[in-house]
Amino acid sequence: MTPMDDPAARMEFDGRGRRLRLPRWSFSGWSAGMLLSAAFIVVLAAIAHIVSILAMPSLAERTAYDLLGEQADPNVMVMLPDPTPQNRALPMMDPAFISAVCVFDLAEHPLKVRVPATADYTSVSFYTAAGLAFYALSDQAAGKVIELELMTTSQKAAQPEDEEITAADRLVIESPTADGVVAVRAYVRERGMREIVRRQLEAASCAPSR
Amino acid sequence: MRLLPLVFTLFLAILLGLGVTWFAVSNSRGLDKVQSGAWIGWPRSGTVKADPYARAFVARAGELPLELADGLIFLATTDDDGHPLDGRCDTRISGVMPQARLWTLTLLDADGRLVPNDAERYGLTSADAIYAADGAIDVRLAPRARPGNWIPTGARPRLTLALRLYDAPFSFTSGAGDASTLPRIVREACP
Repeated sequence: MTPMDDPAARMEFDGRGRRLRLPRWSFSGWSAGMLLSAAFIVVLAAIAHIVSILAMPSLAERTAYDLLGEQADPNVMVMLPDPTPQNRALPMMDPAFISAVCVFDLAEHPLKVRVPATADYTSVSFYTAAGLAFYALSDQAAGKVIELELMTTSQKAAQPEDEEITAADRLVIESPTADGVVAVRAYVRERGMREIVRRQLEAASCAPSR
Repeated sequence: MRLLPLVFTLFLAILLGLGVTWFAVSNSRGLDKVQSGAWIGWPRSGTVKADPYARAFVARAGELPLELADGLIFLATTDDDGHPLDGRCDTRISGVMPQARLWTLTLLDADGRLVPNDAERYGLTSADAIYAADGAIDVRLAPRARPGNWIPTGARPRLTLALRLYDAPFSFTSGAGDASTLPRIVREACP
């Protein structure tokens, strides 16, 4: 390679040797300075992206837990209104279902959840405050009445080991967080059944167990 | 760094990074997805096993996603040929639903809201659908009433279909392969 073929060398000659300069048009219209800036931007942008994705669950202020916490007291089962085109208690609710929620706070006591079976499919799901489900079961898995006890790991460890009580009829679920939401969903097979299913679901309860 | 002032570069970089984040959480429910035709499902997105993108999505969306033991949601925003679902057109959804205790098919607008109509008919469920002799369904999305399984579209230009399979015995947990076949979505007539 002769010195004239090397773009960097050529620029040095063009600059008449007064100053050592980076080649101006070495990368199809991109100067080295611009390339460096672009690389800097890409790396910083990637960092900003990763940090914001990871921080979002703790920064988000409109999680389902926040939305429901504004409307309902903790540790009480509340019926949600049926979703309509204008109104919805939460996004992406299934209109074929009737829902009830219980915003829980396990700081003081474990929570007792009792959901009677309705006319059709009924499920109970447990969510952390960030909206992630950690447990769910349906009426088929549980039988006539779904009865559960929700407690934190330390509360579970503090439970007395009475073998007659800790039998199969007590279903204990460990919550990874002290705050969260229990969602109960009941399917309405026919439109005319709506009121009946709603009344059946009103019997669902959640309360601190002392 | 001599060519672009540092502050401007920093600003641009952060804007770009946050822009990608915004795009990711508004267009994706997580990295772990299964696809069948135009349908996309995110089996683990709503659970504690979710990836960071799914966690960010759930926190921002404010929904309570279905747990896999309860059900699984599939969304479609296009037909099988990749055309966006247009409420001014007639679209046909046909095929056999996967095995599940029940399924619901719901029509949503671009904002994820139910499509208003006089009949308050927001979708179809396994209980009120009409089946062919072989168990297949044939659903029409159309702005005007159609015989059989009709879901009114309200002539909305952009639609999303949500298919929820409750208490489904299949396992989508591999995440690698295609989901078992879901109904086809075909655009029929477009004015």
